[in-house]
Amino acid sequence: MLKKRVTLKILFLLVASDILETAIHFFFKKSAATQADFSVVDLPSVFFFLKAVFSSPFLWMGLALVLIVFIVWSTILSKIDLSVAVPIASFSYILVPLASIFFLHEKVTFLRWLGIFFILLGVVFVSLSTHERQA
Amino acid sequence: MKANLLFILSLIALTSICDTVNQTFLKSTINSLNFTFSWNLIKLFKFIFKIILTPLVWVGAFFSLASLCIWLFVLSRADLSFAFSADSMHYIFIALSSQLILKEKVGLQRWLGILLIIGGIVFVSLG
Repeated sequence: MLKKRVTLKILFLLVASDILETAIHFFFKKSAATQADFSVVDLPSVFFFLKAVFSSPFLWMGLALVLIVFIVWSTILSKIDLSVAVPIASFSYILVPLASIFFLHEKVTFLRWLGIFFILLGVVFVSLSTHERQA
Repeated sequence: MKANLLFILSLIALTSICDTVNQTFLKSTINSLNFTFSWNLIKLFKFIFKIILTPLVWVGAFFSLASLCIWLFVLSRADLSFAFSADSMHYIFIALSSQLILKEKVGLQRWLGILLIIGGIVFVSLG
């Protein structure tokens, strides 16, 4: 049986998971960005790099959000189909670049937005085809 | 600059492959347990317990941890807007492993979607 009805509550959860997903990658980026000049050449330097990144509070905030997103996402999937949830959740492919522009001062060129649009379309195609198998 | 881009892209491919290994191990474990979902808490706990006790799942978790470490290194070097978009290549690896290892059917529409994702990653990388 296909579960397609997206109620207001599920939509709220989906938007929340999008925003949380964006926050996770923002925090990961924040924790890693401090080590941008760190050259990783051998095994000990790998451990030094990881030690520095894992001692950043941003990383642990990101990991805590991973756990929360997992719970939110499990709740969503118990209510609606993956083929319906994934296209709506792929909104993070737009939110992450937007957050990168506003909070990390990155520049996103037109070509990159075009690429993001193609990826988004591709993700929708990939997930919508789950209908074929369940039908 | 070009060599650097290729290096970062191959690291992103490596995290995607590690994630795919984890997902494939988890999925094949769950498939072998033949579980149908119910709210019966005892059955549910037994199911989760069986998953946790499977060595393959632990190997998968190790790959997942490796993926996180590589991902953090990628983020220390690359723009988030680029890395996050390029990470969508895990859809490609998941489709391949679903077809080859899990013997799922990957339909035409899904391959078309994967083609779009590959095209998107090329544009994102050039941008």
